[in-house]
Amino acid sequence: MSDGKLHLLTHEVGSLAKPPWLVKASAGQPLAEEDVEHARQWGERLQVAGHEELVESLRGPAPGAEELGRWSSRYALRLLESAGLDVVYDGEQQRTEMYAWAVAHANGFEPRGTVRSFDNKYYSKSAVTGPISLREPYHNDELSFLQSVAQAELKIPITGAYTLAVWSYDERYGPQKDRLGAGVRREDELRARREFALDIARDLIRPNLEALIGLGAGWIQIDEPGASTEPDELDIFVESFNASVDGLDCLFSTHLCFSDYELFFPALERMSGCRQYAVGFANYDTRELGVGADKRPGYQVISRFRDLPYEPILGLGVLDIHSDWIEPAELVRDRILYAVDVFGDPGRIHITPDCGLRTRSWDVAYEKLVRMVEGTRLAEHELERAHAAPAAR
Amino acid sequence: MQESAGLDLVADGLLRAQDLFRPLAEAAVGLSARPIVRFLDTNTFLRAVLVEGKPRLAQPLPTPDLPAGRWLATLPSPFAFARAAGDEVGASALAADVLAPQIEAYAEAGCALVVLSDPFLAGEKRVGELVEALNELPTSVPVALWLPFSDASGLLEELADAPVAAIGVDFYATPLDAVPQDYPKEILAGLIDTRSSRVEDPKELTDFAGRLLQRKPAGLSLVPNGDLQFVSEPIAREKLARLGAAKTPLEEAA
Repeated sequence: MSDGKLHLLTHEVGSLAKPPWLVKASAGQPLAEEDVEHARQWGERLQVAGHEELVESLRGPAPGAEELGRWSSRYALRLLESAGLDVVYDGEQQRTEMYAWAVAHANGFEPRGTVRSFDNKYYSKSAVTGPISLREPYHNDELSFLQSVAQAELKIPITGAYTLAVWSYDERYGPQKDRLGAGVRREDELRARREFALDIARDLIRPNLEALIGLGAGWIQIDEPGASTEPDELDIFVESFNASVDGLDCLFSTHLCFSDYELFFPALERMSGCRQYAVGFANYDTRELGVGADKRPGYQVISRFRDLPYEPILGLGVLDIHSDWIEPAELVRDRILYAVDVFGDPGRIHITPDCGLRTRSWDVAYEKLVRMVEGTRLAEHELERAHAAPAAR
Repeated sequence: MQESAGLDLVADGLLRAQDLFRPLAEAAVGLSARPIVRFLDTNTFLRAVLVEGKPRLAQPLPTPDLPAGRWLATLPSPFAFARAAGDEVGASALAADVLAPQIEAYAEAGCALVVLSDPFLAGEKRVGELVEALNELPTSVPVALWLPFSDASGLLEELADAPVAAIGVDFYATPLDAVPQDYPKEILAGLIDTRSSRVEDPKELTDFAGRLLQRKPAGLSLVPNGDLQFVSEPIAREKLARLGAAKTPLEEAA
């Protein structure tokens, strides 16, 4: 609250879809007129500075991949800013994918092909085969570029150590032989995973964070969608997070999604240096309006985050990113009002989508984000009204 | 690929299915699939089944274009289906009104074996509920119960009288001595680890299968321990080849 006005901070969580002109050009495919038109229409709609230059260049010999990536970053940044978000990034336009990008800039991994993640979405999976180290800082170029063009505050999403470990095949740390007949003890698997995750934290993530902080990064979001994969490994996730950020001077937050969030407690009590959790809840919620607990089943677990001893902020996921259905602003409002009521402190609530919006078209993503911001303003209005009412009596 | 690996029964690889439950959820009235939820302790996600009315199969799923008598189909077990629906509908109702007509359709199309996959039973141990539901299924085609990524210890004794022809066991999670001596059902032995990028040594597989045979189950087949979608296609191909290679010495010895 500043100047007597309540303001709930809104931000994105990570990825956005890549535009067709970037996807096709990166794959060496010719662009169709509709691809160029996509660049023209969105450039006009978002008022991307100099977009005419891009449109013109797309009609000629395709610009280089790096240049197109920067254009795509400009567009995505403007999409998020134009939707009204307070804190933005570029929808990870210049990265291949959250796992593959990190692993491609690390030593110690070898690719093992693509595997399914969900529906018919696939990701490139690697195996750890050797000592892990940072080949080169892998978000510096994009951050430097975005600092030069962003109007809103930036938050850098990076993939966390535990998720990189659990999304990889292990051909180095764990027992490799005599596994048939349940021949491997769980304690040996846990020892191997701990060593693997901590090596990533200390030798890959931490030096990458230090490089970003050196460039002036103020807020870094460590994405851990794999954190609850193995319920008996949550302490390893916590240790790897702490080892990644311990003693570094930056605002660190964590993104968790698509999990049974009850599993995270009490492990999250031992997190150090995490000031905000951005968590997806809308996926589990009803689409009915209302601020009662019966209407908000997806948000019942938020009291566990409220009760953490270090009182973190909750990034409240209010958009289902796996559906094209556009949440009405009133539904967003009610989800926020419910959360503020549970927390008793609007200062501990930020408003976010459940996760990155990369599986949605730009049309759908933009519309969802606009409604999210609109719903946030409605919630602020309701909260201010409720706050003012007792004084008026 | 499966034929060249020497497999006796082949499948369509569920290539048209986004996950185990979604095709039937979408083919049935009274069910839909929406929230994304994690599948066991993997990094694959599926759509939880929402119950919106009395479930009934509206239209059977298409049958794969495979030679009659030589193909198998995989469906969720009625218990797993009910768990995926948050137990909002009973396993027996799903068996009678959704799975049974689908199995009948497969039988008419020449299906040789229906594999009912149940990744949840070992964690829940509600065998009675499963067996009751299995009794709702037709007998026109043999049915196997598959327990992927599960420790089947303690379940096999209880399942000895279940109305299924065979039981699939993940032997990366289940010790060999969990299989009772003279087990009255065929064992589908999960000897290929579909969550590991390492390819197996056929000799190790053959040796393990040999030790399994010494326990004299009613029959033995060699299978992966779960869906092969957890490894890339080239690794899956190599793993299947090694599974086929492991079979040959066993047949020669028999």
